[in-house]
Amino acid sequence: MKKRSIIGALGLAVLMLALAAFPLASRGQVETAVERDTLTIAIGAEPESLDPVKMTSAPAATVGEHVVERLIYMEEDGTLTPMLATSWEANEDSTVWTFEIRQGVTFHDGAPLNAEAVQMNLARFVNPQVGAAYAFLLGSVQDIQTVGEYTVQLTLRQPFAPILSHLSHSFIGIVSPNQIRGIAPEATFENPIGTGPYVMEQWRRGDSIRLSVNENYWGPTPQIPNLVFNFIPEESARIVALETGEADAIMAVPPQDVARLQADPNIDVVFQTSVRTIYVSFNNIREPFTDVRVRKALNYAIDKQAIVDSIFQGSGFVADAPIPDAVFGHTSVGPYPYDPDRARQLLAEAGFPDGFSMTLHHPTGRYPLDATVAQAVQAMLADVGVNARLETREWSSYLQFTAQPPDQAEYDMFMLGWGTVTLDADYGLYALLHTRQWNPNGNNRGFYSNERVDEILDAARIETNPSVRRPLYAEAVELIWNDAPWIFLYNAAQINAVRTHVEGLIHHPLENLSAWDASFR
Amino acid sequence: MQATDIKAASLMPRKKTSEFKEVTRHLIKNRAAVAGLVIIGVFILASLFAPVFATHDPLRTELGNRLQPPTREHILGTDELGRDLFSRMLYGGRISLNIGIISVIIGLTFGVPIGAVSGYFGGKLDIFTQRFIDIMIAFPGILLAIVIVTVLGVGVENVMIATGIASVPIYARLVRGSVLAIKEQSYVDAAHAAGLGDIRIIFRQIIPNCLAPIIVQSTFQIATSILWAAGLGFLGLGAQAPTPEWGAILSNGRAYIRTAHHLTTYPGLAILFMVLGFNLVGDGLRDALDPKTR
Repeated sequence: MKKRSIIGALGLAVLMLALAAFPLASRGQVETAVERDTLTIAIGAEPESLDPVKMTSAPAATVGEHVVERLIYMEEDGTLTPMLATSWEANEDSTVWTFEIRQGVTFHDGAPLNAEAVQMNLARFVNPQVGAAYAFLLGSVQDIQTVGEYTVQLTLRQPFAPILSHLSHSFIGIVSPNQIRGIAPEATFENPIGTGPYVMEQWRRGDSIRLSVNENYWGPTPQIPNLVFNFIPEESARIVALETGEADAIMAVPPQDVARLQADPNIDVVFQTSVRTIYVSFNNIREPFTDVRVRKALNYAIDKQAIVDSIFQGSGFVADAPIPDAVFGHTSVGPYPYDPDRARQLLAEAGFPDGFSMTLHHPTGRYPLDATVAQAVQAMLADVGVNARLETREWSSYLQFTAQPPDQAEYDMFMLGWGTVTLDADYGLYALLHTRQWNPNGNNRGFYSNERVDEILDAARIETNPSVRRPLYAEAVELIWNDAPWIFLYNAAQINAVRTHVEGLIHHPLENLSAWDASFR
Repeated sequence: MQATDIKAASLMPRKKTSEFKEVTRHLIKNRAAVAGLVIIGVFILASLFAPVFATHDPLRTELGNRLQPPTREHILGTDELGRDLFSRMLYGGRISLNIGIISVIIGLTFGVPIGAVSGYFGGKLDIFTQRFIDIMIAFPGILLAIVIVTVLGVGVENVMIATGIASVPIYARLVRGSVLAIKEQSYVDAAHAAGLGDIRIIFRQIIPNCLAPIIVQSTFQIATSILWAAGLGFLGLGAQAPTPEWGAILSNGRAYIRTAHHLTTYPGLAILFMVLGFNLVGDGLRDALDPKTR
């Protein structure tokens, strides 16, 4: 009895000592960062899925591309470089594309990468039964065949110029054939088995995803053994995580906190262009927006520079075309200068000397400071006599609301953003402004239509010679600009922040943060 | 306890004015209640005369002058679009008070008759009504309000309706309890014997006699509704931008809490004091209306 109580007391004492020592130990860890084998990145949203056919967002792409690779990689400057495909060539009229697949690569489960594995993945991606959200990326593909152990052939319905950039899209990832064989066509999986530099370790829902290094990686093995993506939706909490060292890098720093982070000697703030354009679209088939003078007037009424300079503290660029300048096919045609007098004059000419009233729909929390921008736009419109009532909705119902067919669309103006992630004008212009893409068939939610623009966009997607495509897009961009189907606002910038002891992170314009080249100083 | 004060009140029906005087006297003796009255008074005056006191147009943006800390020009500083926070707060007080009062009126209009009828007639009607009220009470008030706003759509009017509906079960339950006690009183029997109809008895004999708990509850409910409305505004379900609603101002200011804390501090304090004011008065009224405590 006595012995037992002594042991108990000792145990208690040890426990108390351990408890007392614990805060000290953990604090020491943070300050000296002894354990330098794990890189922690805090991102704002949890991936909806890491199954290539289920991915729809930039956060999913950021995590996913460490595990699953695609045939072609798009460098930060837009150059396409070999990834799982080592080379590719097209036949004369660019309707048959042949890809040589990298040899000696194995998936994380040991399965070899070969033509069959690639064929299975691409076939799954375009299979209507699977219903991949981004299946349209390969919409021009008619047939996928293996023609050798390491050769895959894609046959297109007609020439499709951006096919290579589409294949570089983060969502067309190649996963292990075992994983695909193991499930029904319409089923999806959670933890992908890819060929990437990192292997999926653990996904804690609502908290984090943990990856560990792939020792058998075909490329240079990453230096950092473990990679953790923490999901911290609240902006200020993300910043605190970086400041305390809980996270080594964070994405999407709100502009108002940039100055404070820059003042911290242990933190680097990284500005990177983004390929996302933010605009306010008119309902182009609804009065009074059928009148180009009204649409232009509203463009003149908005002080885009002031929005970028003050709300975004200079991080961002006033849009000078419907697509950002990093995109192939971009021509600078704008911006519409801020000229309220001109706006009033145009409104008067269009028969609205006293302005008019309408509703401006906007998202809240989808894009950085979106609601604040909407309020600024509203105030500037009020200055020229246009009385806009603001209305917001939750994101998914907002998308539905702005996806109504023309006879049911109940909106005057709505704010949206579009990332041209293939860095090719086709992805930005065709999807948003071609007449065939009117709701509910596509993303032309403002019902813009211009026959000549349609013609050019059709021609430029079939034409494969860049020196012919470039002037075609230049003409289209100019026509669109003069039709003013949107209030062209700004191209958002990405702001990330990294603790100075980390180097080699890739801040990609496609809103990805990649860690395979990263190391600790 | 409710039954007792009702009894006390009902025993002296002719001394209505002296009852009012009595209550006022006790209320004024209660320091906390007086503080509450002063707070409410200040807020009501500020809201009534918002256009007089406001130093700027609450909707006028000035992007070059955003997030300014309090200065002589902008007493409480400017917000994320360069609007004057003081002027916005003044107009915001109007919205909050309106929401509090109108939602209580809605709650009273529906809750009191439902509770009275349910308690008076009893039987199957009572069981049916009370189970329905049970369902409504099972949701926390703010959650119920969120559900209603989601159905009706966002906006100040709908927030009033939502917080009003969310307070209906509270009144219905409260009034039913009082009615159950009152309908056993001999003067109700007397009214029956005199041949008065049920509806007449409910509205002439019963409801006037459960006014005391209703008044107390309404005072608290104004505070609760203001808080709910601020919560809805904070979640983006209340007043839509650029309406200067306190909860919405607080929510927008959250992003700047470390660089411009005045955007959260002042609306937060305003909500705190307005709710505190109504709660203090409510406490005082409860004591003043209860014959046992005076």
